[in-house]
Amino acid sequence: MKATISIQRYNPETDSEPRWVEYHVPMQSGSTVMECLNYIYENEDSTLAFQQGCRFNSCGLCALMVNNKPQMACVAKLRDQIKIAPLKGMSVIRDLVVDRTAYFNMLRELQLYIPEQEKTSIPAKIIEPQNRVELLQCVECLACNSTCEQFVSDGEMFAGPYVFVKLAQLHLDPRNDIDRKSQAVKLGLDKCVDCGECRCINGINIQKLAIELLRIN
Amino acid sequence: MTSDQTDVLVIGAGGAGIFAAANASKMGAKVIVISKEPSGYGDTRISLGAMCRSAEGFFDSSEKFSRDMIKGGEFLNDPKLVGDLVDEATDAVIALEDCGHVFERNSSGVLKSPLGKFGGHSHNRTVMSPAFGVSMGHAIRGGLARSGVTVWEETVCAELILNEGEVAGAVVLCMKTGRVKSIQAKSVIIATGGAGSLYYPHTDCMPYVTGDGYSLALAAGAELVDMEQVQFIPFALTHPQSMMGVIVGDGSMAQPFGKLLNGRGEVILKNFHNMTRAKLAMIMIKEINNGGATEHGGLLFDVSTNMKIPILKTVYKNMMRRKAAHFLRNVRRAYGRDAAEFKEPWDVLPSAHYFMGGVKTDEFCKSRVKGLYACGQAQGGVMGGNRLGSTSLTEIFVFGKRAGTAAAEDAKSRGYPDGGAAKNAVKRVEGLFGRKGKTKPVHLKKRLRELMWKYTGPLRDGEGLATALDGLAEIKRDSSELAISSFRRYNTEVVDAIELSHMIIAAEAIIISALERKETRGAHVRSDYPDTEDTTTPKNVVVRQTEGRLIATSQEALP
Repeated sequence: MKATISIQRYNPETDSEPRWVEYHVPMQSGSTVMECLNYIYENEDSTLAFQQGCRFNSCGLCALMVNNKPQMACVAKLRDQIKIAPLKGMSVIRDLVVDRTAYFNMLRELQLYIPEQEKTSIPAKIIEPQNRVELLQCVECLACNSTCEQFVSDGEMFAGPYVFVKLAQLHLDPRNDIDRKSQAVKLGLDKCVDCGECRCINGINIQKLAIELLRIN
Repeated sequence: MTSDQTDVLVIGAGGAGIFAAANASKMGAKVIVISKEPSGYGDTRISLGAMCRSAEGFFDSSEKFSRDMIKGGEFLNDPKLVGDLVDEATDAVIALEDCGHVFERNSSGVLKSPLGKFGGHSHNRTVMSPAFGVSMGHAIRGGLARSGVTVWEETVCAELILNEGEVAGAVVLCMKTGRVKSIQAKSVIIATGGAGSLYYPHTDCMPYVTGDGYSLALAAGAELVDMEQVQFIPFALTHPQSMMGVIVGDGSMAQPFGKLLNGRGEVILKNFHNMTRAKLAMIMIKEINNGGATEHGGLLFDVSTNMKIPILKTVYKNMMRRKAAHFLRNVRRAYGRDAAEFKEPWDVLPSAHYFMGGVKTDEFCKSRVKGLYACGQAQGGVMGGNRLGSTSLTEIFVFGKRAGTAAAEDAKSRGYPDGGAAKNAVKRVEGLFGRKGKTKPVHLKKRLRELMWKYTGPLRDGEGLATALDGLAEIKRDSSELAISSFRRYNTEVVDAIELSHMIIAAEAIIISALERKETRGAHVRSDYPDTEDTTTPKNVVVRQTEGRLIATSQEALP
């Protein structure tokens, strides 16, 4: 069986704008989007750029848009007539590859880490709230940002769900020493309209666990 | 040509690389860390997140821990490295929590221990992570962001630069821009992880671990030790195609009444929950080679008997939920809910999991080449012929710190070396762009991977290994005529070509080491030499490059 799919191709260095290219690829029951990308890369066009990783939904590297919804390519089912594009609202390096380095730099600029503890033995007690454990399931795939209209339209003034998840993780960390709620406000939290559209591929309730938590009461 | 200068260059930004970089920076060194992926996105992050600490309590001791590791490693380990891991394991736990990690604690905040011992340990030493390796990923990325280290993500190292036999830096390709750069460095730390990708799709490792560090070290004049020791996890998925090789567990999950069945439904093995991973994987491959495979090419792992005994059922389920939740998630996705509830057997096949061999170093992670260090999975000698459960995450943080500290100290006494030799290396990488040969690098990678799985998997023999060497020579020949596009931005064909060059060297090191070890020991199983030689005089297999050729020799292991 064959499927016809469209992939958004774009090289910002040479193309004035992205274009859609159609491919015909083999499809079996259980075929995934990642298998199809690899098929194209190996058999038809090895200039297609995409990222892949663990193959079991844990590394977050292969997140992309399938029919305008973010999914992990490694587990997303291949279907006929689907459209595959890079994560929305992100700077595209080439084709389906987006610039993730900007997010590492953000960890640094926004001090999204705890201060040094200088302990010489295992701390006898650290109370870790259950909601922090849930937030730690974040695989940093960055797909949540693509589901947020506010972020996609105004990424400059609104840091986006991913950063709010990181801030919430730190707010709940008993070792944190920075006011993360004020930080969230500075990063545009008030612009969140509570539309509840932000989605985590792995099911973290971002609205409840991060946004509501960070709101100053 | 652009050239950057740094005291310490770290290649790889998984747990080992990040700890090496952060600790070198703490010593006052200027540090650059490069990584093919975003930093912290390597094998550390997709692991189970189980990590052992040092021996504690009245009944356990450092001596017992060391003995477990050396017995498990079948006497191939370097006892000094083992001693360092055992002594500093708890420090590594503390250091990781210092970066922001919290190991699983009970409701009053006290560190929890998992149910039962991890594979090969005589005592319970393992602590767990609340959200598996992913939560460790948050911690190591935070630790790196907190440090003063310069980070170059999506950058691949093509060659090390040498100056009069000493390391002088590296030539790298920045994937995003396509720019080839040279970095002058006083010391270089290899933290590139293993080479599971040589067996893809028969591996549960990230596709980027292509053995770059092994190849870079050999070319620089360093030695590799026991490269034939590749650990195969016995149970990995066989289908769907997209998930083949993904880890679902090992023999310990069978206890007490698990069975292994062949494709005809015949029981081929019982009572294997204490069997080593190597032996179990070997038995499985033997049965498959004898025509016993299922339609998906695997065997059936069946624990339904455990489910039929009411008291056992609850205990077993609870234990698996704590120890194996990570794996059960994969089983549910591939085989469905009944399989994940142990009602249906799992179709399983061994998969490359971890490289015990690697760069030969002293206890300060220093290779025999001045200025060159290695830590983490890229380093050899720690695990010997078999790795105990939950020791690898400890290894990366213990030796990451050691390497970073030693390399920074070493850099203090050296000036910037002459990087003149970089010119030719830069030219070689530049020359990859727009090559008009016959074969695409990705096709050669595929051929190499098929060859490695077929002849250097869990069951080997001299004839097969010789065939592998011939096949590798052909691949090497074909790799001189690559077809590569010329555009600069994120050109994965060029990355494939660089990785292929490293994979060929790493593969050769494995094959010649496997030929040299004419016995069955640790993870290395040979059907033509099924016995282990007298254990009082075990030998390490050492590979080095002499006059452009790789040579494997046997050396008596350290007592």
